[in-house]
Amino acid sequence: MEEKKYRSKYKHVGQPYDRKDAQEKVTGQAIYAYDLEFPGMLHARCLLSPYARARIVSIDTSAAKALPGVRAVLTGEDSDILVGLYMQDKRVLSKGETRYHGDVVAAVAAEDEETAEHAVSLIKVEYEPLVPVHDVDEALEGKTLVHEDINDLKHYVGVFFPQKDSNIASWNKSKKGDLETAFSESDLVVENEFSLPAVAHVPMETHVAIVQADPYSNKLKIWTSAQSPFAIRQIMADSFGISETDVEVHIPYVGGGFGGKAGIHLEPLATLLSKAAGGAPVKVRATREQEFNQLPTRAGMRGRIKTSVNNDGTITGMQATYDWDSGAYADYGVNVGKTAVYSGIGPYRVENASIDSKTIYTNKVFSTAYRGFGHLETHWTIERQIDILSQKLGIDPYEFRMKNLLEPGDKTMSGEVLTVSSGSPKDCLTAVVKEIGWTGRKSEEEREEEWKTGKVRGKGFAMLQKAPAMPANTATSVIMQMNGDGHVKMMIGAVDFGQGAITALAQIAAQELDIPIEHIEISAEIDTRANPYDWNTVASKLIFLGGNAVIKASHEMLRKMKDVAGQALRTDPENLLHANGEIYHRHDPTRRLTYKDVALGYMYPNGTGIGGPLIASGSSMADGLTNLHPETGQGNPAAVWTFGAHAVEIEVDVETGNVTVLKVASAFDIGQVINEKLVYGQICGGVLQGLGSAVLEGYKFNSDVQLMNPSFTDNKIPTMKDIPLEIVPIYIENPQHNGPYGARGVGEHPMISVPSAIGNAVYDALGINFHVLPLSPEALVLGIQSGKKSILCTDVDCLPGLH
Amino acid sequence: MDKDCSMYIEHVESGKRKVTLSLTVNDRLVVRDVDPQMTLLHFLRDELKLFGTKEACGEGECGACTVIMNGKAVTSCIILAIEAEGAQITTVEGLAKDGKLSILQEEFVSQDALQCGFCTPGFLMSTRALLDSNADPSDEEIIETLSGNLCRCTGYIPILNAVKRTIERERKELGR
Amino acid sequence: MISRFQYFKPHNLSDAVQYLEKEDNSYVLAGGTDLMILLRRNLINAEHIVDIKAIPELSALEYSNSTGLTIGAGVVVNRLVDSEIVKTNYPALQQAAASLASFQLRNRATAVGNICNASPGADLPPSLLVYDALVNITGPHGDRQVPVDQFFTGVKRTVLQRGELVVSLQLPEPGEGDRSIYLRQTRLRGHDLATVGVASRIKPNGKVAIGICAVAPTPLRLFALEDKINERGLNKETIDWAGEEINAHIRPISDVRSSALYRLQMASVLLKRGLLNLIGEEE
Repeated sequence: MEEKKYRSKYKHVGQPYDRKDAQEKVTGQAIYAYDLEFPGMLHARCLLSPYARARIVSIDTSAAKALPGVRAVLTGEDSDILVGLYMQDKRVLSKGETRYHGDVVAAVAAEDEETAEHAVSLIKVEYEPLVPVHDVDEALEGKTLVHEDINDLKHYVGVFFPQKDSNIASWNKSKKGDLETAFSESDLVVENEFSLPAVAHVPMETHVAIVQADPYSNKLKIWTSAQSPFAIRQIMADSFGISETDVEVHIPYVGGGFGGKAGIHLEPLATLLSKAAGGAPVKVRATREQEFNQLPTRAGMRGRIKTSVNNDGTITGMQATYDWDSGAYADYGVNVGKTAVYSGIGPYRVENASIDSKTIYTNKVFSTAYRGFGHLETHWTIERQIDILSQKLGIDPYEFRMKNLLEPGDKTMSGEVLTVSSGSPKDCLTAVVKEIGWTGRKSEEEREEEWKTGKVRGKGFAMLQKAPAMPANTATSVIMQMNGDGHVKMMIGAVDFGQGAITALAQIAAQELDIPIEHIEISAEIDTRANPYDWNTVASKLIFLGGNAVIKASHEMLRKMKDVAGQALRTDPENLLHANGEIYHRHDPTRRLTYKDVALGYMYPNGTGIGGPLIASGSSMADGLTNLHPETGQGNPAAVWTFGAHAVEIEVDVETGNVTVLKVASAFDIGQVINEKLVYGQICGGVLQGLGSAVLEGYKFNSDVQLMNPSFTDNKIPTMKDIPLEIVPIYIENPQHNGPYGARGVGEHPMISVPSAIGNAVYDALGINFHVLPLSPEALVLGIQSGKKSILCTDVDCLPGLH
Repeated sequence: MDKDCSMYIEHVESGKRKVTLSLTVNDRLVVRDVDPQMTLLHFLRDELKLFGTKEACGEGECGACTVIMNGKAVTSCIILAIEAEGAQITTVEGLAKDGKLSILQEEFVSQDALQCGFCTPGFLMSTRALLDSNADPSDEEIIETLSGNLCRCTGYIPILNAVKRTIERERKELGR
Repeated sequence: MISRFQYFKPHNLSDAVQYLEKEDNSYVLAGGTDLMILLRRNLINAEHIVDIKAIPELSALEYSNSTGLTIGAGVVVNRLVDSEIVKTNYPALQQAAASLASFQLRNRATAVGNICNASPGADLPPSLLVYDALVNITGPHGDRQVPVDQFFTGVKRTVLQRGELVVSLQLPEPGEGDRSIYLRQTRLRGHDLATVGVASRIKPNGKVAIGICAVAPTPLRLFALEDKINERGLNKETIDWAGEEINAHIRPISDVRSSALYRLQMASVLLKRGLLNLIGEEE
């Protein structure tokens, strides 16, 4: 077993503490929205559209309504409420036209799930099937509009740019320099296309929402498995035309999210059902099938990239076009598209560049944020392109990258200038390349020799970068209160759905206040009535923003304690220091008080009290960010970049296409490790999710745009048998000047670029450039058999040579 | 037909057919009237209010609902409650004894073998069943057994580490 | 699940048969790993469930030199995995059993259920086919015995008539020097349905037997291919040839799990690897 080698210079920050929620989770006591029950609670079931696109001719719900135990039956005729995170484009219940195989056509609330399910089976719907929009090319032609009313959709103006009379939910752009000249004057210009399918988040707890709509007021009580309590509150208020105060959102333990539970999902439907059922609490729980075909997914993407280089290996120009197949609704998809315009050339110094990123409506399952959103996809394009460029130039891919990677003083795509405290892409690459023992690409002769054994090994690596993709005014906050025993109760508005937020933030508080981690009381449970505001638990922003908020709150707490202690000890608070839960005089340590002495106010021996219960707060807002210029994409979108790199060694069975991942080395410049155990967990989990996207996962649609694999039978995720034989985490600690203890976020990053690294290793092994994911056993075999050196599509139909 | 041979008694209760079921759950004998359609998972959760056992797919594919039934790890979502007549069932709530976490649970905590925790009860039960029948399994045997449990958070490596440490500690501390 | 069924748990075979014959929409419940999915997805409307796990003779897993191996209808797959007798005498069957679904499901799923479900991609049939397994059936009109290669009649269809129940599988005793292997390809290492599964056997007389799944509406025994291989004599050259020839004997389809083309390729690879392994010439 691997001994953890990380040593921290701090007492609490950097220590591998057990997660605070662990004990409840190993004893079965952790309660999730899925577990919750309330008096009189009803259960819902939905009737989903059997067609990707159809006109609803008629619905007969009479038999369902007549079934004993049924309390509410709803169709699109009952509500015209529109919801949407950035675009209000989604009806809670379909009316007129269905837009994907998974749109809710009718919903039932009944006394139990079986009755609801039975009632749904009794609803008769007549549809007129319509020809669906299959893919981004058809969508861009624009003959059929997925949203006829696109011109009128309410959206976040100035950040997203829906195109008139089209299927483009947002067209984001960036450009700088003189691309034309770069392309015409460089030694080599290489153009390629890469693509990848939609992939599901697969949280183990499916989406669940319970809503109780007060029949006597606007009040909504919501218990939900979600990442964004305050976003839900705001969107619900906006969609239902009520005040945010009317909406209380409770988040118990959340069984995984990965972005799929960001924003708003089943809450509006549960609300309508509760209202229709006279205010009874209604639980809507997605089945696993609905999790795949009704709830959103990661968008499929096609990237076209053209790059110019000089023979010395200098990248001179880069032009990228990203087309996102966002399915029926925009949801987070438009924000995914937006990130591509400032991160979509990777961590490279490119003077002349342009990016066009279109989030496109089709009639597929709609898309949303998924761990490191947009970045796994764009890096699949960039990092494969970089590898191909190095092949064409005959330069080692490590050398080629090192020549072009960002350094202090360089500008990112959007024009931000990196500093010495921005972290170092080069340190990450060098570390993983060394760990994997890279000595250069395999020669053709070596490859042929190995091929005879039936198994070929290959090494590959890839860079990654990501900054939190968030609005310029993103904020979070913390409230601290000292309990009577000198322990500290801390409340945050962000959700710990497994990433370890509450433990890491408690460590920062323990460090600042110098008390044991056990003395920090913090709950994963969120109640918007009590917990302070947080924008959304997404984007790996919490260590950075939340950590800073904890530091601020701690400082306020210490200041207030010292104010009271100063009076009690009859000295200027300036003379007081703190350590180990005590406050003492810097020149006379015998003059001291414990935190407990001042926690609820200090009491003199005669009973007189001063001070009162100690409460402190801390807010933290992204500093100095700006919206991007709509045409040039220039601006300041990134609060903090985290750079990283993966290197892998694989072995391919050339007859079966099976890939064995022998080793993954992953380095991230995270500035400062807050909890090595938690970071290690993020790396192991993220790498395996990335591996799933690389070699296994992906939605498959038939010609009617119906999802063919909406279950674990055919939509597989990696199991314990599928782990790499070795994962080596490497923590680079170039501190972030404005990060808490210099730390940066790393929750999402381990997933990014795993497919790129595998794709590059597959080239090293086979001498074939794959441009499409997943690199499944079948894809590899068909690619090998096709005899081609570039594989743009691995459907049999695309490889005519094989017939 | 010899009706006495069937081990159940069916009766009608407020319009619904019910069968009487008795079994032992976490060392306690329980007797309940249930629908014949009720799964063992729903029985544990809805009737006994043991919420540690989770449903994540309902089709036996993910292992989140794993419990130990007569010494074997089984997926309770695709077993009828009535099939468990007379059975000995252990759920995650039955692992800690006398107010103290078991070694297995302690190691899941210390190795950070969980994140969101939703799959954790299933992993604990699959592991417990394995170690009860084989105190010193090889890595291959552990992986074979636990690959029926899906986890999307941890990447499995911390889980594997926790199981291996449990084996060591159980050998040392319990003499297994 | 919206089926409302009566649950019946007989203690002897005749009660089971009588009930199954009498009641419409009756389904046999053994492990339930397939049946419960059908119920849950509302793909069948069951009115009666007959749980056969209390019928004593169905739990037998026995081996004798005269009758070979008997696998009762209640025998769960993990019993085959753990059985030294199966491992020693019918290695392909043990390997197929060990590869089937997940550990938890193998604690419930029965070998007989795996054939009665009659999935084209079922893992056990290729091995049962190469061992010339017999299916012992009982029913309202008495007992009958059907060779396993005649048991499947189509996708999810078998020869079983109303009221009939498979009592056991019987595998003749293999002779001295009998060898076999089961190889399968899947989309990941973890539990998955077979993209293709191939059982290869060399009998004591040197003749080969080949069973395969997921390449036709039913699992297949490739008799014609076996004859050609046996004519040529088993050696490396024949095995290479057979790897090509097998594609003329199967008719896989393209579906969500695999293209037909990949299935053809994998049938070829798995057959070659299996036979090479059996003659001690692993690639």
